[in-house]
Amino acid sequence: MGGTTAKAVGTAGAASTAGRSRRRDELVAWSFALPFLLFFLVFMAGPIVVALVTSFTDLRVTDLRNPLSVDFVALENYVAVLGDQQFQKAAANTAVFVLFGIPLAMTLGLLAAVGLNQGIVKFRTVFRVGYYLPAVTSIVAIAVIWRLLLGSESGLVNGLLAGLGIDGPGWLTDERFALWSLIVMAAWRSLGFLMVIFLAGLQAIPQDLYEAAEVDGATRWQRFRSITLPLLRPTLLFGAVITSIGYLQFFEEPFVMTQGGPLDATLSIAMHAYNQFSFGNYGFTAALSYILFVAIALLTLFQFRLFRSE
Amino acid sequence: MLNSSVMMRRLAIPVLAMLILVACGRSADSSGEGDGSQPAAESMGPATGEIQVWAMGAEGENLGVLADDFMAEFPDVTVVVTPVPWDAAHDRLVNAIAGGEVPDVSLIGTTWMGEFANLGGLDPTPSSVDPADFFEGAWNTTVVDGTSYGVPWYVETRLLYYRTDLAEAAGVTEPPANWDELKAMAQAIKDAGADYGISLQPGGTGAWQTFMPFFWQAGGEILDDGGSFTLDGEACVEALTYYDSYFEEGLSPTAATDTPVEGLFANGDVGSFISGPWMIAVVTDAGTDPATFTVAHQPTEASGTSFVGGGNMAVFADSDNKPAAWAFVEYLTRPEVQVKWFETVKDLPAVQSAWDDPALTDDEMLAAFGEQLSDAKAPPAVPNWEQVAAEIDSAIEQVTVGDMSPEDGCAAMQEQATSIGTGL
Repeated sequence: MGGTTAKAVGTAGAASTAGRSRRRDELVAWSFALPFLLFFLVFMAGPIVVALVTSFTDLRVTDLRNPLSVDFVALENYVAVLGDQQFQKAAANTAVFVLFGIPLAMTLGLLAAVGLNQGIVKFRTVFRVGYYLPAVTSIVAIAVIWRLLLGSESGLVNGLLAGLGIDGPGWLTDERFALWSLIVMAAWRSLGFLMVIFLAGLQAIPQDLYEAAEVDGATRWQRFRSITLPLLRPTLLFGAVITSIGYLQFFEEPFVMTQGGPLDATLSIAMHAYNQFSFGNYGFTAALSYILFVAIALLTLFQFRLFRSE
Repeated sequence: MLNSSVMMRRLAIPVLAMLILVACGRSADSSGEGDGSQPAAESMGPATGEIQVWAMGAEGENLGVLADDFMAEFPDVTVVVTPVPWDAAHDRLVNAIAGGEVPDVSLIGTTWMGEFANLGGLDPTPSSVDPADFFEGAWNTTVVDGTSYGVPWYVETRLLYYRTDLAEAAGVTEPPANWDELKAMAQAIKDAGADYGISLQPGGTGAWQTFMPFFWQAGGEILDDGGSFTLDGEACVEALTYYDSYFEEGLSPTAATDTPVEGLFANGDVGSFISGPWMIAVVTDAGTDPATFTVAHQPTEASGTSFVGGGNMAVFADSDNKPAAWAFVEYLTRPEVQVKWFETVKDLPAVQSAWDDPALTDDEMLAAFGEQLSDAKAPPAVPNWEQVAAEIDSAIEQVTVGDMSPEDGCAAMQEQATSIGTGL
């Protein structure tokens, strides 16, 4: 009995010491987290909340001297955004950009990753660096170069086409081609990033699975379909989520290359929000941004369901 | 599972937001304008102390020249000039006005006047400034809802540039006097071998600056006396039909080209275009022999009106040294200072009497700009103009590049402009 009591007392004492030290640990942890937390609250969470409030008001640039004198307009801004023809056009453009751009970028990224993982042995580093280079290059520099490539009269692409006797269109100035030109450029640009992610995923797949499948007589394609793809699922999901968050907000490409034209063919939601913000329609822009935010959240959710492991 | 304290925290933010909103609401008079009284600058008190001046682009880099002259004449005043890049200027000015941390004086783009005055940021012009000294179109850019907030500092207007050698080879020896002659010249130059007779902007940012002169020439007005948009009248349809015909008939390119217009003009691919005074130097630098091109007055129908733009100088409502600020602004509008400024950065004087100086009268092309300035208009100085202008640009493109009819284009301009409103 006595031994047990002594043991119990000892445990209690140890527990209180542990509690103190845990509290101290907690304090230290918070103090480490504090700088980030403060910045996050002041510069991220604060503006996010303010933007949400703004989206329910009729705040305009001319109210800035008395921002509290604005009216609460309930969902009027949201109704106005959804009824805005330019927004509808921008939403359709963004949808096309995401629906065609992401599969294209992911397919190309996966091809490059599989190729580098298995086939190509010589110059592997050269290829890796080459594919990844666009991802670390300034989008503005890329856009400027692509604008030269895609120029209608003196562009390199049309120059090559002319060599084949084809009269190339104005890739960026013809409304039928402008958005597709941007999609191809964006896919080329994100290919490298996706390739690196997929390569890491591929290298985590145990080699003996392939060996076993080979012994069973599985073809290359069967091995890819039944081993690589299923095991790469989490990596594919990560790539898809990250890329679609970026693609839904695509802005720099039209901003630098086409200013949203011709005939709004390359106007994206983010670009429309930028324009409306510069017109001083802050309430409208805030509502527009929250609609984009909800769209991003929904698409991400959808992708999680799509790629969820059975 | 959410526990109740998390729920509380999640609710706290919206509740807080609602509390803030309860404190909101527009008062009956929220326009935030000045009281409209315009005392003479001299009655404000002596000009002493320091003033901060913002200016953009080449103006910002060179304004020190005039500031030095001013300080020599007003030794009690110190002028500090801060150059601001044009790209950042609008946002910086909005932030400055919103935060009350303003310079005393700033260069303001003419199309921003409505917005900043309506925001309550600008000081009304003192009565010692005489509106008649300035070109009427330029002065009107300072007038917001009946009150002037600043003075025109420099101006620009749009003229027809054309290659005289190409025109003569095509049988055109006189500058085109009206729409039919302009069209005939463009057709003749194209027939004589140029790719395009003229280069007009088919759409995109600022296309309205090329289109609106035609609208005015057809007798159109952007606003009626009651302050409502009148963009869908007969004048608009007539002007837009005429403008569109250049694209329909292949006389003007429908898309931006890889080579800028000055290059096409220099090598004879494009026979003419409409632009501002800065293009004299640009086309010459691009290799056009100055003897082979000239500028001409806008064609005349109901009128021969062109577009006037430029920069205004304004004093801020929150400036704490208005006497010195206005003294500096008034100094900048003296005819001899305007001429000196022209000689410094080639900005055209906004003050009419400065144009009597030989520095301007001796140059034939500049004189043509001076002549056009007395028949030039600016869009109304209303807060929402930039947004309305973007809709006009878009409607122009729908008609010239897209397949919208001019009637529908004008109706679209009117509908969009009306739903946006003037913002006053």
